[in-house]
Amino acid sequence: MLQKREKVLLLRTFQGRTLRIVREHYLRPSVPCNSPLCPQPAVCRNDGKLLSSDVTHYMIPDWKVVQDYLEILEFPELKGIIFMQTACQAVQHQRGRRQYNKLRNLLKDARHDCVLFANEFQQSCYLPRERGESMEKWQSRSIYNAATWYYHHCQDRMPIVMVTEDDEAIQQYGSETEGVFVISFKSYLDNFWPDLKAAHELCESILQSRRERENESQESHGKEYPEHLPLEVLEAGIKSGRYIQGTLSVNKHRAQIEAFVRLQGASSKDSGLVSDILIHGMKARNRSIHGDVVVVELLPKNEWKGRTTALGENDGEFPSEPMPTGRVVGILQKNWRDYVVTFPSKEEVQSQGKNARKILVIPWDYRIPKIRISTQQAEALQDFRVVVRIDSWESTSMYPSGHFVRVLGRIGDLEGEIATILVENSISVVPFSEAQMCEMPVNTTENPWKVSSEEERERKDLRKTHLVFSIDPRGCEDVDDAFSVRALDNGNLELGVHIADVTHFVASHSYIDIEARTRATTYYLADRRYDMLPSILSADVCSLLGGVDRYAVSIMWELDKTSYEIKEVWYGRTIIRSAYKLFYEAAQELLDGNVDIVDDIPEFGDLDEKSRQAKLEELLWAIRKLTDIARHVRAKRYQCGALELEGVEVRIQLDEKKNIHDLIPKQPLEVHETVAECMILANHWVAKKIWESFPHQALLRRHPPPHQEFFSELRECAKAKGFFIDTRSNKALADSLDNANDPNDPIVNWLLRSMATQAMSNALYFSTGSCAEEEFHHYGLALDKYTHFTSPIRRYSDIIVHRLLMAAISKDKKMEIKEDLFSNKDLEELCRHINNRNRAAQHSQKQSTELFQCMYFKDKDPETEERCISDGVIYSIRTNGVLVFIPRFGIKGAAYLKNKDGLVISCSPDGHSEWKPGSLQRFQNKITSTTTGGESVTFHLFDHVTVRISVQASRCHSDTIRLEIISNKPYMMPDTELFQQSSLLLKSDLVKEVTRSVEEAQLAQEVKVNVIEKDYQKYCQTKGRSLYTLLEEIRDLALLDVSNSYGI
Amino acid sequence: MAGLELLSDQGYRVDGRRAGELRKIQARMGVFAQADGSAYIEQGNTKALAVVYGPHEIRGSRARALPDRALVNCQYSSATFSTGERKRRPHGDRKSCEMGLQLRQTFEAAVLTQLHPRSQIDIYVQVLQADGGTYAACVNAATLAVLDAGIPMRDFVCACSAGFVDGTALADLSHVEEAAGGPQLALALLPSSGQIALLEMDARLHEDHLEQVLEAAAHAARDVHTLLDRVVRQHVQEASILLGD
Repeated sequence: MLQKREKVLLLRTFQGRTLRIVREHYLRPSVPCNSPLCPQPAVCRNDGKLLSSDVTHYMIPDWKVVQDYLEILEFPELKGIIFMQTACQAVQHQRGRRQYNKLRNLLKDARHDCVLFANEFQQSCYLPRERGESMEKWQSRSIYNAATWYYHHCQDRMPIVMVTEDDEAIQQYGSETEGVFVISFKSYLDNFWPDLKAAHELCESILQSRRERENESQESHGKEYPEHLPLEVLEAGIKSGRYIQGTLSVNKHRAQIEAFVRLQGASSKDSGLVSDILIHGMKARNRSIHGDVVVVELLPKNEWKGRTTALGENDGEFPSEPMPTGRVVGILQKNWRDYVVTFPSKEEVQSQGKNARKILVIPWDYRIPKIRISTQQAEALQDFRVVVRIDSWESTSMYPSGHFVRVLGRIGDLEGEIATILVENSISVVPFSEAQMCEMPVNTTENPWKVSSEEERERKDLRKTHLVFSIDPRGCEDVDDAFSVRALDNGNLELGVHIADVTHFVASHSYIDIEARTRATTYYLADRRYDMLPSILSADVCSLLGGVDRYAVSIMWELDKTSYEIKEVWYGRTIIRSAYKLFYEAAQELLDGNVDIVDDIPEFGDLDEKSRQAKLEELLWAIRKLTDIARHVRAKRYQCGALELEGVEVRIQLDEKKNIHDLIPKQPLEVHETVAECMILANHWVAKKIWESFPHQALLRRHPPPHQEFFSELRECAKAKGFFIDTRSNKALADSLDNANDPNDPIVNWLLRSMATQAMSNALYFSTGSCAEEEFHHYGLALDKYTHFTSPIRRYSDIIVHRLLMAAISKDKKMEIKEDLFSNKDLEELCRHINNRNRAAQHSQKQSTELFQCMYFKDKDPETEERCISDGVIYSIRTNGVLVFIPRFGIKGAAYLKNKDGLVISCSPDGHSEWKPGSLQRFQNKITSTTTGGESVTFHLFDHVTVRISVQASRCHSDTIRLEIISNKPYMMPDTELFQQSSLLLKSDLVKEVTRSVEEAQLAQEVKVNVIEKDYQKYCQTKGRSLYTLLEEIRDLALLDVSNSYGI
Repeated sequence: MAGLELLSDQGYRVDGRRAGELRKIQARMGVFAQADGSAYIEQGNTKALAVVYGPHEIRGSRARALPDRALVNCQYSSATFSTGERKRRPHGDRKSCEMGLQLRQTFEAAVLTQLHPRSQIDIYVQVLQADGGTYAACVNAATLAVLDAGIPMRDFVCACSAGFVDGTALADLSHVEEAAGGPQLALALLPSSGQIALLEMDARLHEDHLEQVLEAAAHAARDVHTLLDRVVRQHVQEASILLGD
C-alpha cells in the first residue's frame, strides 16, 4: 500500500515554556467510506457497518454540533450520519471521556445508522492547518473539504448536508459546491425533521441551558465549592497514599448530610482502612454525585464524625463512634445518568423568586441533589414526571445545572410511575424493531416451523431413543430445560439435561443479539415482564414444549448403575421431542405413587388403558431414577460442605415464575430440589468444560465467602432468642440455621435466614482471565466452578456460555471455531454490564412491588379499614425506633418510637399506645421507652406488635409505607394462652393463602399478558375484586424480595 | 482532555498508521569518506548515524585482545538536541552505556568475529533525533555501516520495536506510543535464518500475548530487511558504476 508522509507541527506550552513538537502524520489513498454507493468497495475496504441505502441525504455534523447536540444525533430516527474524524477528535479533546465514549458506543452500535470517516488519514481530504488559522476554523474547513470529497466519491449521487453552528462557515461554504449544503442545526431540524417533536424540544432545552451557562460564567460570583484538583495531582496523590480513591454512595435517608466512599482496590490495603469513609455535608462532598468515582482526602482525626443510627429525618442526636471522615478533592469519573425529576408546585416556584426562568427541580431519587433547569414550560410540566440530564456543576453554583429531555407521565399514574422506575434503573425496553424481528424464525399455522434436514444431519437425534420430559410451574410458557433418564445396554444409567438451543436462532452480533446483550436479562416487575428475547423465541420455537421437535443443547452423563458415579459426559447439539410437559405438583404426586393425578396430564388424555399403563410405568421409572440421582448428587455436595440455605437456587428459579412454595422452608416439594439439583449439576459441568477449553476467557459465576463482621448482627439477634449461630463455614452456618427454629414462631427462622442471606456478598459473573483460580469458588453451592447455562431464554450470560460450550466442542473435534468469542477484556466488560443489569432488575422489581403496595393502601382509610391493621415482628432495633416486618403483606418498614414533637410511645396495660413526653433507651436487643410519668414499655427483638399501615404520600418521590405501633401486643390476640394457637393459625393461614395466591397469580398472569393495558386502567380506578388478586401477587413477590437480593 | 487513544476503533494509530505498518524508512550508505564504513538512517523522525572502523589492531591495552576472535567495541551517544527538551550530556550516562552494551551483544552475534582474531572493530552510533525506537534505528544504521565497511557478517541484523495496546500488537512504536507507558519489546533479528540476535523488554506483559507481540516485531523486522536490502543493492550498483568507469 502506498504511503506518503507529511508532518504536523504542534506548538505546545508546558510549564510556561514553549515546546515545539514534530509529529508524523501518514496519509493513505483510501480509507473505508462505509457507503453503499461507493464505486469501488474493494479499494475502500468497507468491511465495517455500512450506512443504510434508503436515506435521502447524508448528514455531516460539524465539530461544534457533535460536541453540543450529540444527544439529538443519538435519536434513531436520524439516519445517514457521517461523523468526521476531525469532529470526533474535537469531542475527545474538549469534552472529556464520558462524552467521547458515548460517541464511540454510538458508532459501534449496529442499530444506529451512522459511521465514522477517517478524513484526516485520507490523502485528498487532509488539509494542513495554515499559519495563523484558528483551530476552530481549521476544523470546519477540514470537515467541509471532506464532505465535498465524499460527495464526489459517491459519484454525486447522494446530496450531503453539512450541519454547523458557525455562521461564517454557512456564508462561506453555503453555495460553493452543488450537492453539498451547509445549514445550521436548527434549520436542519426544521427542514428535514419537522415532525420529530422530541428532538426539537431537546434542542431547545440544550440551547437554553447553554445560554444560561454563558451568562453565568460572565457573572461568576462567589465560589460555593473549592475547585477540583488537576488529574495529575490526583493520580500522584493516590499513588503516594495521600488521597484515597473510591465510589461515592449517598445515604438515602440523610442525603443532605451523609455520604460514604467505598474504597476500591489497592487503596484500601495501603491506607489500612477497613470501613468506608464518611463525607459529611454538601461542602465536603464537593459537587460529586451518588455513583461517581471520587478522590478523597482524609481529615485530621479530631475532625472525624460518627454516623447516625437513628431512623428517618430526625436530627442525628446519637452519633456513633467517630469514623474516618474526609472530603472530596476531585472526581475521577462522573457517572451521571438520566434522572427523573418533578417540577416544584406553583407556590414553591413563586417563592424561588428572583430568577424566575431558572427552576430547581427535585429528583425522584433522594440521593441526587436538586437540579437547576432553565425552561419556560415549568408550569405545563407541573404534574408530570420528567427526565433531565445534568450538564455541568460549576464551583460557583450551589446546584448542578441540567436540561430537560422528555416527559414520562403524570405523577401518580401507574404507567408514569413504572416508566420512572425503569428510567431510574437505566432500563430501556423499547418494543423489538422490525429489523430485529426480521431475523426471527416464522412459526404460524400456515407456515409451521420445521427441523431442517441440514441440522438433522449435524445434530444427534434423540427423538426416537430418549424419553424426554420437562417439569415446570403450572402454565409456564418458556420451558428452557428438559430431562431424560434411561438405562444403557451395559447396565449403566444415562442422565440427560436438555437446554433450549437459543444460540442457534440468535447469531452472534445480529441485531437481536445486540438487543439481548443490552437488556442482559428479562425484567420481571410486579405486574408485567419485559422479555429479553421476542416471544416467538421465548414462548415458541425455543421453548421445549411437549410433543413438538425442538433443537436443544444437551449434556448427558453416563452413571454407574448403583453408585451413580459419573463415568463419562457428553456435550452436544441435539434434536429432542419432549413427551411430557409436567408441572411440579403433578410430578410430586407421581413420585409419591399417587397416580390419580394422571387425569391432569393432557399427554395421557387420549390413550387406551393398556398403553396408558405402559407409558405411565415408563415415566414413573424415569422420575424415580431422576430423584434418586439428584438425592445422591446433593448428598455428595453437602458432604463437601455445601451451604444448605434451603435450596436457595430453587427459590430464585421459582420466584421469577412467581411461584413461592419455598416460603415455608420446611416443606418444599422434593421435585423442586430434584430439578434444581440437575440444573446445578449441568451448570457445574459446563463451567468445568468451558474453563478447561478457554482458561482465560470463560464466563463463570462466583460467590465470594462473606465477611465475618457482617454476621455480627445475625449472631446478636439469634442470641436474643437463645440460639447460637456458627458462621465460620458455610456448612456450620447452614446447620445452626436449621437448629434455630422456634416452634412457636416460624417467622423467627425465616427472618434469621433472610438476615444471613443479607450478610452475604452477591454472586457475580466474571471472566476467568481476570481472577485468580482460588477465587472461582461458589460459597453458597460449595462448588469450585459454577456458571449459568440452563436459562438462555431469559439470561444473556447463558447465551454466552452456550457459545463458549459450542466453541469448546468444536475445539475438541479439532474443527474451526465458528463462534466469535470475546477476549478476556471484552468479556470482563460484558460481565460487569450483566451484573449491573441484574442488580437493576432486582431493584426495579422491588421498587415496583413497593409501588403497588402503596397504591393498594392509598385507597384505604387507615383508621377504619381492617386490612390496615396487622401483626408485625420487630427484626431490628434503632435508636429512635424499630424495624418491623409484616408477614401478612410481606412489608418491611420503620416504626418510630419517638415522633417529631419529641414525644415517646407508651402503652397502657391493655396494650394500646399513645404519645407522651419521655425518653428512649436503647440496648443490644431491646429498646425501652420511659415516659416522664414513670411508665415504661420495652420492645424486644422478635416481639410481635400490632401496627397500623398507612401511606405517606410524596409528590416528588415515590410514596412510602408508614408503620405505626398501636399496641405492643400481637394483633387481636391479647391472651397469652391463645398466642400458641395464633401462631399456628398464622402458619396454616400463610400456607393456605400462599397456595391460593399461587394459583391466582398464575391465572392472573396468563390473562394479563394479553390485556395488560386495559386491565391496568381498571385496577387503578376501581376497588373491585380484581384488585385483590393483584395484591396477592404483590405480596408473593415482596416476601421473596430478601432472598432475591443476594441472587445466587 | 481525555487520554490519548493509541489505537482507534477503526484501527488507526495516532499518526495514521495501522497496527502492523512501519514508519517511513530512508537510508544512505557511505556518508563519510574517512571512516571504513558509515550509514545514515531515518525511521520516521528518528534519525541515526553510524560509523565503523576496523578491523584494526587493538588500541590501548593489549590485554583486551581476544585470541580467537575480534573485539567488538560499540559506543552510543545521542545528540543534546535529539529530544524535546535539551539534554545535558550527550554520552556517558547510564542509558547510553546500556545501549552500547546491547549493540555490542547484537553485533557479536552477527559479525563473523572469528575471522579476525586479536583485532578490534569499532562501531559508533549517534542519534540525531529521537522519536521512538532508537535502539532499532541504531542497529539498522550500524548494520548498513558494517556492510559498508565490508566486514563479513552472517546476515543483516534488522531490528524493530513492538508494543501492545488493547489486545493488539503495534509494530514500530513512535515516541508518543512509547511515552504512553505500555509494554515495549525490542527485537533484533537475523532475517534469513530467523534467529534472534537480541530480545529485550522491561515491562510486564502476559505470557499469552508475548507470541503475538513477538510475531509483530519479527514481521516488521523482515519488512525492514527488505528495505535495507534494497538500499544496499542500490548503493552497490551506484558504487560499481563509479568504479567501472
